[in-house]
Amino acid sequence: MVKLESMQRYVSPVNPAVYPHLTVLLLGIGIFFTAWFFVYEVTSAKANRDLLKELVVSLVAAIFSGFGILFLLLWVGIYV
Amino acid sequence: MKTPYAHTPTIRQQIDPTCTNFRVFLLKTPLFPSNHSILRVNWEFSAMLIYTLIYSLLVFSNTYALDVLNSDVVVKNVGRSIDITSQLVKVVYQFTFENKGKNSEKYVLFAVEPQFKDKVAFVGSQIKDFKLKAVETKIQNHEDKSFWRIDLKSPLLPDKTVSFDVELIAVKALVPYPAEITQREKQLVKFSGNAFVYSPYKVLSQTTTIATGTKNIESFSKLQPSKQVDKGVSYGPYENTEPFSEAGITVHYENNSPFLIITRLERTLEISHWGNIAVEEDIDVYHHGAQLKGPFSRYEYQREANSGVASVKSFKTVLPASAISTYYRDEIGNISTSHLRVNSDSVELELRPRFPLFGGWKTHYILGYNVPSYEYLFNSGNNYVLKMRLVDHVFDNMIVEELVTKIILPEGAHNIKFSVPYPVTRLPDSKHYTYLDTKGRPVISVKKNFVVENHIQDFELTYVFPRILMLQEPVLLVVAFYLLFLFVIIYIRLDFSISPEEPKKDRTTYTGLCQKLITHQVKRLATFNLIDKEVNSNKNQNALAAALKPINQEYKFESTIINDLLAKVKGDANEKVSKLAEAQKLDKVLKEHYTQNIERYISGSMGKSQLLEELNSKKKTELVEKINSLLS
Repeated sequence: MVKLESMQRYVSPVNPAVYPHLTVLLLGIGIFFTAWFFVYEVTSAKANRDLLKELVVSLVAAIFSGFGILFLLLWVGIYV
Repeated sequence: MKTPYAHTPTIRQQIDPTCTNFRVFLLKTPLFPSNHSILRVNWEFSAMLIYTLIYSLLVFSNTYALDVLNSDVVVKNVGRSIDITSQLVKVVYQFTFENKGKNSEKYVLFAVEPQFKDKVAFVGSQIKDFKLKAVETKIQNHEDKSFWRIDLKSPLLPDKTVSFDVELIAVKALVPYPAEITQREKQLVKFSGNAFVYSPYKVLSQTTTIATGTKNIESFSKLQPSKQVDKGVSYGPYENTEPFSEAGITVHYENNSPFLIITRLERTLEISHWGNIAVEEDIDVYHHGAQLKGPFSRYEYQREANSGVASVKSFKTVLPASAISTYYRDEIGNISTSHLRVNSDSVELELRPRFPLFGGWKTHYILGYNVPSYEYLFNSGNNYVLKMRLVDHVFDNMIVEELVTKIILPEGAHNIKFSVPYPVTRLPDSKHYTYLDTKGRPVISVKKNFVVENHIQDFELTYVFPRILMLQEPVLLVVAFYLLFLFVIIYIRLDFSISPEEPKKDRTTYTGLCQKLITHQVKRLATFNLIDKEVNSNKNQNALAAALKPINQEYKFESTIINDLLAKVKGDANEKVSKLAEAQKLDKVLKEHYTQNIERYISGSMGKSQLLEELNSKKKTELVEKINSLLS
C-alpha cells in the first residue's frame, strides 16, 4: 500500500484550459478530411477510383474527428 | 472484576478496529478456495485444522466483543450542557473520571438511556484537540442498554483522574407540542430527558444546563435544585447518584428554528481522469416540525413579518471553494431563486425552494457542481486514492435520515478498497453506463442512516487504474468514424441497378479516355520541339545522336500509351475518335520526316544548314498545325 502522503495530486494529462483550442483545431482538420473524402467518393469515376487513397484519407479524417469530438465533449462538460 | 480474557486494545485493533466486521470477514473468507490435488488428498486433515482455527478465532473474537464494566471507576464530576436551540439535541459532557481500584484502566464506558438509544446519531470524544476513539459495544448483564467504549489516550492509573469531553448528537428528540399550528402561530416543542447523567459508574457530583435559546419557556420539570436561568434551565448540583439513575424531565419551550429533515440524500461522485469530479446531490427535504393547520395565505405571508415564523423560506448550503458550474433544479427545471456567493474558503449557495416549507410540507431538488480532480484525487503511478467527504453540508444543524453515497470510478478501475472513519453499510457494487462506456464503470455505494454535521468526514478510496485505458474513449470514437467511412467505401462500390450496366453509355469513362489521349498526344508532339532544340545547340553529330536517344525513348513510351488508349476507344465510331486517329497518322508522317533527315545528317550525307531547312520546312509546319487543330 502506498501512503497518501507520498502521492502527488492528480492532474489531467491534458490541461483542461486548452480543451476549446484542441477541439477547434482537431475538429477543423477532421471536418476538412471528412469533406475531402466525401467529395472524392461522389465525384471520382468508377474506373479511376483509388482504394488506397480513400482508406488513407478516411483514416486521417477518423482520427482527427474522433479526438476532436472527445475534446468537444470535455469542453462542454461531459466528462467521459 | 476482570475476566481471564481481559482485552488488550492493541491486538483487537490489529485484527479489526471496529470489531463488528470481524465475524463477517471470517464468514466471507473462502474456506476452501482451492481444488488443488494435494489439498484434496489432505482434505479431511485440512478441514479439521481450519475448523479448529475458525472455532478458536470465533471464541476469541466473542470474548473480545464484550467489554467489562469496572465499578471501581467513579465519575468525580460531570458537567452536562444540553443545547436544544436547534432541531438537534446536542449534549456535551465534561467528565472527570477517577480510578479508585487497584488496576489501571485502558478505557471507560459511556451509556445512554435505552429509550433514547434510537435517537443517537453521533457520539464523539476528545481531550482538548486529541480525538479519542468511541466505539459502540455491549456489556454483560446490561444487554438492554447501549454503551460506547472510549479508549483513553494513556491508561488511567489507580487514584488518578482523567478529564475529557463527550459529545452526543440526538435527532428527532424534540416533539412539537402542539403538533399542529396555524400559519401565524409560533412553534412550541417539548424536550424529554433525564435530570441525571445516565452513567454506568457512580457519579459524585453533577450539574446540567439546558440551553433553549429563548426566554419563552412554557414549563419545565422541577426537581430540586433546579431553576430557570437566562434562556435556559439548570439542574443540579446533585451529589452521589447511583449508576443508571433516571429522573424524567421535560422542557416545553418555543423553538422556531428550521425543523428540516433530509429524508433521503443521494450523493453521486463521478470521477473523470480528464481532470474533473462531478458531484450531484439528490435531496428530499421534509419539514418535521408542527404541522400547518388551516389554510396558507400567501398575502399574509408576504405582508406580515411574523407570519409563518416556523416555516423555512430559504437555507444556505456551503460548497467547496473550488466548486464550479453549480446547478440547482427540480423536476420542472432550474430554480432561479438562488444566490451564489464565492468566498475565499468556500462557495455559499443560498437556496430558496419554490415555496416556503411549512410543517408537513416537503420538496425535492438536485444540486450539482464540479470540482477539479487535483483537490481530492491523488496518485502514484497507477495507484489512485480518492479522499473526499462522504457527506457534505446541506444546511446548518442538518439531519439526514438516509444517506446513500455513490462513487462512480472510471471504466477499468479495479482493486478497489474503501475506508471510512465511522461504520457504514456497504451496498453491493454496481455498474454505471454513460457516454463512451463499454463494460460499465464500477460504482461503490454506501448507506448510512441518521447523519449529522459531525459525520462530514473524509473517506478514502483506493483503486488501480492503468493510464493507457484513458485512450479507450478516443479510440472508440475513431473506430466508429472509420467504420462509417468504410461503409461508404463499400456502399459506393455496390451496384443496386436491375439491368446490367452498359460500358458504352459510361460517358464519364469515355470522356476520361479521350481526355487522356489528347494529353498524351500533346506530350508526344512536344518531343519534336525538344529535338529542334538539340539540333540547334549541338554541333557534333555523335553528341546529337546521344542527346536524341532519351527523347526518342520518351516518344516511343508515349506512343504505346496512345496506341493502347486508341484501341480502347476504337469501338465507337464518332467524330472525336476519328480526329484522334487522324492526328495519330499525321504524327507518324512527321516522325518519319524527322528521322529520315536526322539520319542523313548524322551519316554525313546532309549538311547542318540543309537539316535546319528541312526541319523548318513548309511540310513540317503544315503537319504540326494540322495535328494541333485536330487535338484542340
